Amino acid sequence: MVVVTLQRKKCIGCNYCVELAPNQFQMSKKDGKTVLLHGQDKKGFFTLKSNDELIFDACDNAAKACPVKIISVKQV
Amino acid sequence: MQKIELMAPAGNFESLQAALDNGADSVYFGVEQLNMRARATVNFTLDDLDEIVKRCEAKNVRSYLTLNTIIYDHDLSIVKTLVNKAKEANITAVIAMDQAVISMAREAGMEVHISTQINVTNIETVKFYAMFADTMVLSRELSLRQVKKITEQIEKDQIKGPSGNLVEIEIFGHGALCMAVSGKCYLSLHSDNSSANRGACKQNCRKKYTVIDQETGFEMELDNEYIMSPKDLCTIDFLNEVADAGVKVLKIEGRGRAPEYVAKVIKCYREAIDSIENGTYSKEEVIEWMKTLETVYNRGFWSGYYLGQKLGEWSKGSGSHATQKKVYIGKGTHYFPKAQVGEFKIEAYNLNVGDTILITGPSTGAQEMQVENMFVNDQKLSEGKKGDMVTLKLPFRIRQSDKLYKIVENKVEA
Ligand code: SF4
Repeated sequence: MVVVTLQRKKCIGCNYCVELAPNQFQMSKKDGKTVLLHGQDKKGFFTLKSNDELIFDACDNAAKACPVKIISVKQV
Repeated sequence: MQKIELMAPAGNFESLQAALDNGADSVYFGVEQLNMRARATVNFTLDDLDEIVKRCEAKNVRSYLTLNTIIYDHDLSIVKTLVNKAKEANITAVIAMDQAVISMAREAGMEVHISTQINVTNIETVKFYAMFADTMVLSRELSLRQVKKITEQIEKDQIKGPSGNLVEIEIFGHGALCMAVSGKCYLSLHSDNSSANRGACKQNCRKKYTVIDQETGFEMELDNEYIMSPKDLCTIDFLNEVADAGVKVLKIEGRGRAPEYVAKVIKCYREAIDSIENGTYSKEEVIEWMKTLETVYNRGFWSGYYLGQKLGEWSKGSGSHATQKKVYIGKGTHYFPKAQVGEFKIEAYNLNVGDTILITGPSTGAQEMQVENMFVNDQKLSEGKKGDMVTLKLPFRIRQSDKLYKIVENKVEA
């Protein structure tokens, strides 16, 4: 299973995660910060658990590219 | 001659207060993500705007909101929110680089300042942006002679901004310069996917480099490995010429800097601007200011491109050349207003009579003074150690959790 997390508060809305993993991330028009799609939101801390191993690479690239390092991806 | 406006950076409440206490005429700051210090750990939030304006208005200081990154479609609604909130909070102006921000700010009826990233370098561009903005930062790469030509032409052609007043020219007066043209840089994007133009600069140019010939593997010996890191800009020693060039606003760089940096730099430039005004500006004073400026963060100083000639003078190190540094020793616990006495808990190192101390806090700003005498656990002693409670006579109020530092010499490698 792949676990992706996003600490949204520090997002600077640069859009890289969306470009690298468009199926997992989307920019919110409301505040210009990213949202982890289908993730559970707890006060801005998003968690997504997925059995789709194929999302790992895309999310990993997004995590590496994020300038404020607020995305993490793990295979459990 | 109209007096130069001294514009101070404010990255948090400590620095804001330090700027207000030391004579800034205006302050600039970012909120949320759309500013060039978006990566900073502490950034103001929308909710802080009212408090910022309250403190500025009490001192008759103008407040500028920086909204100067590149803007994507998904940012537009937050831009609108920010602009509207700024208007509502009575912020004086918005500093903009993107045309969307300019247009939204004008729509909201806000004063607009053109940010350095737009690279205004000629009079026609000034005319163009005068349709929207009252103040413009000129490109950092212009010489003072070029700046002067532009300000003279503004007078001559009577180029006015939306307020109906002549357009005012702003320049960078002091602080970090980078190798990029007026702050537009792609280095961190290439190395780390981290866009400097979204406020996420990784400061690649501040590092050491070796040059290698890929064919032979031959490594070039460089005199100074910091081949991309210019020294910091300092204009205090020719500020009279800056004033002569018709500059109306002098911007001090440093929203990421500590509050004592803001306090000292603003104090020096305040004195310098005032002394030009009253005709006492002198070499001797400049020497004293330079000494003070060297005590806080710097990469060595140069005059930028203002005096023409030379290309960048490169820094000799990655870090600061400051001649002083601060060491954390404790925190504030109490203030007795009647007796004007502050109480601190020492948490590290010793505090001695004769030490220079620095007290910082969101409302206290950055206050520096010398310890003349003190009480340690209610006894008059000359040394306080870790764990002790010390009380000091203070001419200003401190708050609980204000930080207490000792100022010590910083050994700088030659
Ligand atoms: S890459 Fe990071 S900072 Fe950029 S939009 Fe995504 S989460 Fe936000």
